Amino acid sequence: MPDPDAPATIATASTRREAGRPLIAVLQVAFFIFAMAAWQALTAIGVLDPFFFSRPGDVALRIWDWIWSGFIWPHLLVTLTEAMLAFVIGTVLGVIFGLAFARVRLLAAVFNPYIRIFNALPRVILAPIFLLWFGLGIASKVALGVTLVFMVVFFNTYQGIREVNPVLLNNVRMLQASQRQLLRYVYLPSAMTWIFSSLHTSIGFALVAAVVGEYLGSARGIGFVVAQAEGVFDTTGVFAGLILTSVVVLGIDLLIERLESYLLRWRPPV
Amino acid sequence: MTPALSFDNVTIRMSTPDGGVLTVATDLSLDVGEGTFTAIVGPSGCGKSTLLNLAAGLLFAPEGKVRVFGDVLTGINRHAAYLFQQDALLPWRTVIDNVILGPVIRHVPAAEARRDARHWLARVGLAGFEDRFPHQLSGGMRKRVALAQSWIVNPRILLMDEPFSALDVQTRQIMETELLGLWQETRKTVLFVTHDLEEAIALADQVVVLSARPARIKGVYPVDLDRPRDVAEIRMIPHFIDLYNQIWADLRSEVGAAHAGS
Repeated sequence: MPDPDAPATIATASTRREAGRPLIAVLQVAFFIFAMAAWQALTAIGVLDPFFFSRPGDVALRIWDWIWSGFIWPHLLVTLTEAMLAFVIGTVLGVIFGLAFARVRLLAAVFNPYIRIFNALPRVILAPIFLLWFGLGIASKVALGVTLVFMVVFFNTYQGIREVNPVLLNNVRMLQASQRQLLRYVYLPSAMTWIFSSLHTSIGFALVAAVVGEYLGSARGIGFVVAQAEGVFDTTGVFAGLILTSVVVLGIDLLIERLESYLLRWRPPV
Repeated sequence: MTPALSFDNVTIRMSTPDGGVLTVATDLSLDVGEGTFTAIVGPSGCGKSTLLNLAAGLLFAPEGKVRVFGDVLTGINRHAAYLFQQDALLPWRTVIDNVILGPVIRHVPAAEARRDARHWLARVGLAGFEDRFPHQLSGGMRKRVALAQSWIVNPRILLMDEPFSALDVQTRQIMETELLGLWQETRKTVLFVTHDLEEAIALADQVVVLSARPARIKGVYPVDLDRPRDVAEIRMIPHFIDLYNQIWADLRSEVGAAHAGS
C-alpha cells in the first residue's frame, strides 16, 4: 500500500529542482564575473591601490604560473598531508571520546567544566606553543589541527549519541543485543548524521590549522608561501595562496558531500 | 501448567518531575496461559504500556514479581518479542537488513538469516520490498516489517503495544486479520495492549480491563467466540455485541474516572 501522496511530492520536488539548477549556476558564474570585474576595474581607475590589493588578473596569472612551473605542488602536498592527518586523528579521537562521554555519565560529569574551558580557549593561540613542543616540521601543524577538529567532532558525536531514539534502542535490546551490538547497530549509525554534519566544519578547520601553523613557522606548505610573499610585500602572492587554499577546501567539501549523500541515502528526502 | 507470563502482586511507582511519587499500578496479579491471546484494555494513561514493559524486562517492579514460564524475570525477557506502538525499525537499514537483525545478533550465519528473512517478508506480503528503506514504505508496510522482525526469532511470547493504532481503519483490519492468521498457525502467547475494545474482543481469548490510575485489574473476561475469526464480520455477531456491552459497562466508569482525574 504505497502512500498515494508520495509519488506526487517527489515529482514536484524534482521538476522544481530541474528548473532551478541552471539558473542558479548562471547566477553564480555571473556573480563571480561581476566581483572580479569590479575588483579589476577599481584597481584600473585607481580607487584600489594594486600594491595593497593586487589585481584578479595578476592573481590568476600567478596561480597559473605556480601550477605549470610545478612550484606549488610540494607545498600543497605538505599542507594537505598535515590537514588530512589532523582531520583523521581528530575525528577518530573525537568519536571515541564523544562516545565515552555520552555512555559513561561519571566521565561527562567530572570532565564537563574542563571540556568547556578547553573549548572556550582560542586554540589558534596554541600554535606557537606547539611549534616549541613539536618543532617546525609537520607535527606541530597536525597537533594544532587535531585540537580544532577534535572539539567539533567530539561535541557532535556526544550530541548524536545522547539523542538516539529510545524506541529504537528498546527494540534492538528486545532482540537481545549486547552492549557492543547496541553500539554497533544503533548508537554509531544513529550518531552518523551528526558526525557527518561536523565533517564539513572540521575539514575546513584542519586546513586552517595547517596554513596558520605553516605561516607562523615552517619551511614548506601554502602557509609558508603566503608568509614568504608577505615578507616582500607581494600581495599577489598572498591572494594567490589564499584563493588556492579555499579552492582546495571547496573540492574536498564536495567530495565529502558526495560520500555523505551516499552513506545517508536512507534518510527521507526533505 | 505454568503460565507463560505471570504478574504477582506487582506495584509500580514512578517519581514525578516535581519530586512527588506517582503510583501507576497497585497489587496487580495476572496469569497469561501459554498459547493464549490476551488483550489488555483500560483508560488512557492507566499504565497498560507499563505492564508490557514489565513483561519485556525493560522496566522493573520494586514490589512484586514478574515470572516467565515460572522463572522470576531479572533482565530482558529472552522469550519475548516486542511490537512497539511507534516505528521502531532502524531507518538506516533496508527492510531485509531490519528483519535479519534478530538472527544476526544471535550469530546466525548471514546466508541463512537472509533466507529466513525472505521467507518472513513473503509471509507478511512484502516480497520484492527487501531493498527499500523504511521511509519508502507506508505505515502499514512498516508494521508488517516489524511483524517479520519480531516473528523471525521465533519468540514464545509476543508483546504488542497498540501496534496498529496509528493505521487507518482498513489497513488496521487487514493487519488484524494477518496477525490472527499468523497466530493461528504458531499459537504463541500474545499480550496485546489496546485502547480499542472492539479490537480486543475480535482478537483475544480473554480481555483484561484495567482501572484508571493507579491501575488495578477491574475484570477478566473470557471471549468464547469461535475461531478462526473474521475480524470484520465478527463485530456483527450478537454474542460479540453482548460481550462488548458487558465489558464496556465495566470500562466506561473507569474511562470516566480517568477523565475526572486528568
